[in-house]
Amino acid sequence: MGQVHNIGTQLDWIVLVIYMIAMLLFGTYFAKYNKDTNDFFFGGRRFTWWLIAMSIVATGISSHSFVKYSAMGFKYGFSSSMSYMNDWFFVPFFLFGWLPIIVYSRIKSIPEYFERRFSPSARFFVTILQLMYLVGYVGIGFLTMGKAILPLMPESFTILGFQIHISLMGLIWITAIITGIYITFGGQTAVIFTDLVQGLMLLFAGLMVFFVGVAFVGGWAEFWNLLPPSWKIPFAGYNSPAEFNSVGTFWEDGIAGSVGFLFMNMGLIMRFMATKNVHEGRKAATINILFMLPISAIVVGGGGWVAKAISVKFPNLLPPNLNPDSVFVVISNIVTGPGVFGFVIAAIAAALMSTVSTLLNATAAIWVNDVDRPIRLWLKKIKKEDPIDEKRAMVVARTSTVAFTILGVAAVYAFNSYPTVYQAHAFFHATLTPPLMIAIFFGAFWKKFTPAGLITTVLGGISLMLLGNRYPLELIAPIAHGTPFDPVHPFTYMSALYNLIVCTGVAVVITFSQNKLKHFAAHIKKNPNHSAIMFSMIVFSVAVVLYDVLAAVFKLHIVPLDLIFIITLIASGFIALITTYYVKYDPDTQTIGLTVWSIHKAKEWFKGRKLNEREGDIVKVNWKLKEGNDEEDLIYFSQKDMHKMAAEPGDLVYISDKRKWLGGLKSCHSTYGEPHDEDGVVYLRKLHLGKGLFVEGKLLEAEKEM
Amino acid sequence: MPTFFDSWLPFIYLYVGGGIFFLAGMILIRKTKAIDMRLRRDRFWWKAMIFGYFYFMAIHAFSIIAALYL
Repeated sequence: MGQVHNIGTQLDWIVLVIYMIAMLLFGTYFAKYNKDTNDFFFGGRRFTWWLIAMSIVATGISSHSFVKYSAMGFKYGFSSSMSYMNDWFFVPFFLFGWLPIIVYSRIKSIPEYFERRFSPSARFFVTILQLMYLVGYVGIGFLTMGKAILPLMPESFTILGFQIHISLMGLIWITAIITGIYITFGGQTAVIFTDLVQGLMLLFAGLMVFFVGVAFVGGWAEFWNLLPPSWKIPFAGYNSPAEFNSVGTFWEDGIAGSVGFLFMNMGLIMRFMATKNVHEGRKAATINILFMLPISAIVVGGGGWVAKAISVKFPNLLPPNLNPDSVFVVISNIVTGPGVFGFVIAAIAAALMSTVSTLLNATAAIWVNDVDRPIRLWLKKIKKEDPIDEKRAMVVARTSTVAFTILGVAAVYAFNSYPTVYQAHAFFHATLTPPLMIAIFFGAFWKKFTPAGLITTVLGGISLMLLGNRYPLELIAPIAHGTPFDPVHPFTYMSALYNLIVCTGVAVVITFSQNKLKHFAAHIKKNPNHSAIMFSMIVFSVAVVLYDVLAAVFKLHIVPLDLIFIITLIASGFIALITTYYVKYDPDTQTIGLTVWSIHKAKEWFKGRKLNEREGDIVKVNWKLKEGNDEEDLIYFSQKDMHKMAAEPGDLVYISDKRKWLGGLKSCHSTYGEPHDEDGVVYLRKLHLGKGLFVEGKLLEAEKEM
Repeated sequence: MPTFFDSWLPFIYLYVGGGIFFLAGMILIRKTKAIDMRLRRDRFWWKAMIFGYFYFMAIHAFSIIAALYL
């Protein structure tokens, strides 16, 4: 495929650079709202649904970017929208399962959930998977960005007599440095607010390219008639071609991708945790999936659709052998004028920065909570009851952001072997999502799921997945629904189904065998050689997992498939037995409030006392400062206002500046104190003024949280 | 002209396959009482979730009909 260079004008570059600088300054401004790690990572749990919904658009659009969907739109038509229209199926699980669990359990990261629900070892394995998932996602983001910007650049330029060749990787490194600086100093509040601007900009830019492109070919009727019916079908072919088909997209994107994005993507989860309450989180998720995603499908695919129509009507306008990943940039340059094209490219840059900065913020959160703190606990440098050293945690967060930016760029080298970003992303989803997806799903929705089930799903499941990767014709082809075999990248999509089946199978079998495993573990404990028995099982399991890894990486075929498959199953059984032997687990206490079966209990824990579920109204109040104990976290309303809110002393309250457009930026959570008689007035402590940044004379509104 | 294999079959596969997951989720949140139908807000969400399923189904069905016959 031909790589286009040197498109755009000087004016486009000026617009692009001004935009980047403006975003850097804008993001850095919001650093002042980072009082502690809670603000840095979660924005202080204060924002309203529309701000979060818009911020999710910017994050979501970039990760399912202009580049890859325009490429697929150009090659296959409206079916490029499939990925944006198949996310509803898991909404009940998310809105009334995972979302309330993560908010009410007050976890700071997904791995932390696994420690509380299962064990520290479960947290360890999930942390590794989560970091790989997030770093991979960062890598995809950087690759997309590089491919978007490259067509604008000359092939090389000369400086001080040296000729410098502009490569994709060189561009990616520069982008990574800019993004790293921005997120390192801004934090989550910066990400949310810059995303609001970026989300609006990229929606506008994408729709503009589409509608201007439709006008370019002569209007809607002409555009519609230029495209053959097969291009207008919103689905790809049922099971072909290999690189893009409906059944593969269903399993890879509709199932693995949707769950990955909604349930596992710590960046997105942190957005929902930044909403003021679970109800607002539900609204943000619902509006995003119902309305923003269909619009986004046009925004990101429209460039490709228009390019196809232009290629039919004006066959000489597009370069022959155009690289599909360059379609959006090339077509934007054709249908827009100088300066406007720069704005469109700036919108892509914005989208990438949103996604990558969100993910980098999330990796930093995981590093601080799930690696740095546990290691310091293990080294006995701190005690479990010690409060978080905020100053140190912020330094660690910022340092780790830099480190993960570098790792993200390193990941690009692996993805760059795929012909399109779309396929690279599909491979990534299909491979990394299933074990974590099953772990989260069974952890949150199945009370019987045990640490043995979880750890075996991760280790044994991945070993079986690797065998599928090594022997695709034997293991994946029988369930591939007739999708063609591509020897270079075999079953990029349908491997998701195989991976889900093996991970689910392992999880279910091990969980149902729990009593037998306990029996065996007890039996071994009684044996005088129990240490030697356990040691040999560990060595055997490690050797098998290692062989499966090496077989997949180096395409080894030392042991026949049927034999290595059976050996891997035996090793999985050993892993389950080892976990049962060593890990202490009490299902009665470790499931309460952490599964969908006990959400009510989780709510009670969150509140710290009995729930008050009476539905009240929002009240508007003026605020006054209450002198005395500045750090007391109680605020005081009149009897009448409390009655309106259906609140009682001890209930949780959310209070915010009345100006809706602030989106909750000036707000805080607290607890109701004993009522007074001054209607329309709330008494706050200095603590609340510091958290809420309330302005003197500005009206506030308050509502009972629970 | 696209065949049934490339138009309605992917539609049926998506909404039957996805529908199984959706239905499982709806049954589970009712069974576990994660959604409390005594609360006005939760009743609203129940209806919104059902609406969402048919909303996407309608968009896809309309798009296929438009592609084939308009």
